[in-house]
Amino acid sequence: MEQYSILGRIGEGAHGIVFKAKHMETGETVALKKVALRRLEDGIPNQALREIKALQEIEDNQHVVKLKDVFPHGTGFVLVFDFMLSDLSEVIRNSERPLTPAQVKGYMVMLLKGVAFLHHNNIMHRDLKPANLLISSSGHLKIADFGLARLFSQQPERLYSHQVATRWYRAPELLYGARKYDEGVDLWAVGCIFGELLNSSPLFPGENDIEQLCCVLRVLGTPNQDVWPEIVELPDYNKITFKENPAIPLEEIVPDTSPQAVHLLYQFLVYPSRQRCSASQALLHPFFFCAPLPAHHSELPIPQRGGRPPRQRLQPPPTDFSVDLPLEDSLVDPALLRRHASCF
Amino acid sequence: MFHNSSHKKYWLFDSEDTVEQLRCKANMKFRNKVLSSGKPGVSESLFLERHEEDVLFRHYERRLLDFCNAFKPVMPKSVVGTAIMYFRRFYLNNSLMEYHPRIIMLTCAYLSCKVDEFNVSSGQFVGNLLQETPAGQEKVVEQILEYELLLIQQLNFHLVVHNPYRPMEGLLIDLKTRYPPLENPESLRKSADDFLTRAAMTDAGLLFPPSQIALTAILGSASRAGLNMESYLTECMGLKEDKETLSQLYDSMRRIKSLIKKYELPKPEEVNVYKQKLERIQAEFTTSSNNKRKRGYEDDGHVAKEPRMTEEEWTDEDLL
Repeated sequence: MEQYSILGRIGEGAHGIVFKAKHMETGETVALKKVALRRLEDGIPNQALREIKALQEIEDNQHVVKLKDVFPHGTGFVLVFDFMLSDLSEVIRNSERPLTPAQVKGYMVMLLKGVAFLHHNNIMHRDLKPANLLISSSGHLKIADFGLARLFSQQPERLYSHQVATRWYRAPELLYGARKYDEGVDLWAVGCIFGELLNSSPLFPGENDIEQLCCVLRVLGTPNQDVWPEIVELPDYNKITFKENPAIPLEEIVPDTSPQAVHLLYQFLVYPSRQRCSASQALLHPFFFCAPLPAHHSELPIPQRGGRPPRQRLQPPPTDFSVDLPLEDSLVDPALLRRHASCF
Repeated sequence: MFHNSSHKKYWLFDSEDTVEQLRCKANMKFRNKVLSSGKPGVSESLFLERHEEDVLFRHYERRLLDFCNAFKPVMPKSVVGTAIMYFRRFYLNNSLMEYHPRIIMLTCAYLSCKVDEFNVSSGQFVGNLLQETPAGQEKVVEQILEYELLLIQQLNFHLVVHNPYRPMEGLLIDLKTRYPPLENPESLRKSADDFLTRAAMTDAGLLFPPSQIALTAILGSASRAGLNMESYLTECMGLKEDKETLSQLYDSMRRIKSLIKKYELPKPEEVNVYKQKLERIQAEFTTSSNNKRKRGYEDDGHVAKEPRMTEEEWTDEDLL
């Protein structure tokens, strides 16, 4: 911990406080996620273990956040990540105009590359949503928050929890209580995020679990055994019945969108998980190869550049350069460096 | 995937000697720590020798295996395998004299359950310590949670262990689909399974990738049944032309088999003598990690809990 000087607080995550800090030796800015073992009864929280487990075992990928280090601290430990300026939910929220088609494509390419990489490494993220897609200062999108991630296909008969994924992005099989599912839950979420990028508002904003299912059913139509044979095996299938209603064409849900975009959206938003288009396949969809082409990351909005200061920068970091500040204020306290000085 | 795993990168060692050197170093480290602390009445004869540590290690490893096998609900094999591997990895760099194996073994099993998503609550977990009173079980929970952080740290936060069980399933499927000379691959399973259980109690997992251990199990099982499967390696695995890989593979398999052949059950009378030695060392020279954890709580602005019960109040005879 002595290697870092804390620059400010970024926010509170699911299992602890996240700080912005500077690694004194390299000068790198990082995010420190502090996992304190507060709830004593079961020890180290599963979420923290999952995050470490998933991120320790994969190689670097440009579109997945990198776990730079883990070390013990006090009664818990600290996860060290690259510092990221913002996240996609802020991009969507703060953009004054809807994102351009090229920008939507740019984000989708990066998201799909990240998801393809995870699935190739047998990792289900299980909680994809705009707030977990971080945006770097160079405009790159990186998938983060592996607190629900699972290594899959370990044992086919294993049951999983269906209480995963933030409600708006939760796949229909999860809403029906499925305990056996696959990486298709991530692909459903990808579809929801895609729709949200196109519309600048969430596709299925259910207020509770039942209403969530209503939202999905209203658009995709009431499912039956013909379109979704596995539905009869789902635990909650018989518990709730909905009034029959037909599907609404997605063109009406995402108006003013190119036919290719609608076609790709259809590949993700289908009931049977197996029919959803894999991330690596989706990257080959014509949507990404016709004009306008996906925007380069430098052409993507980074909220900090827009007017409103983003959430992550509530307090200006003390080391920011300013012509009005005395120079010594921007220096690291020499006392902090002293104990490392012998290394040089 | 194994090829880019922390298992392959950090926890496979090149030889038996390397592994033994690490353990000797840990033993020395503890001795030096005690000797330099300047406590009166310390003599070298007090400490456990390396081979004595080894006997105790095998004793507690057995107990860990027994505990896991008797666990209710039934513990999946991979959870058991991971727990045993954690136990081995922990005592590569730590002396048994420093951290008592009876609590480390339970902590290994507890962490393995969580990491492998075999979800049991801490209460359910210690409910398997049948000889313990509810109050005793609660104490064990406290101790496990106390050591959990130390364990995960000593594992270097590398939590995923690749066990040989899945590769073995893969090999059986491969044999069924691509190797017609073998009529009934399933008949190899029982004996191969036993082999893997025995391999888990050796350093095989620290020296060889899980797929090689699984292959050795299958080929060994076949040869016990009087079947020669050499053509599986030369034809199906395409090693006919690659003499070098083939001979390396044979060498690995030979070494794995000899590790298993060398394994001896610890003798009860030896175990008892060394255990007494260990208890004495523990009572005199080791400080409980209590303090560390408690201090941490105060740092975080939490109220320190009542001092925990001392370890002497329960012995491992109460555990199983």
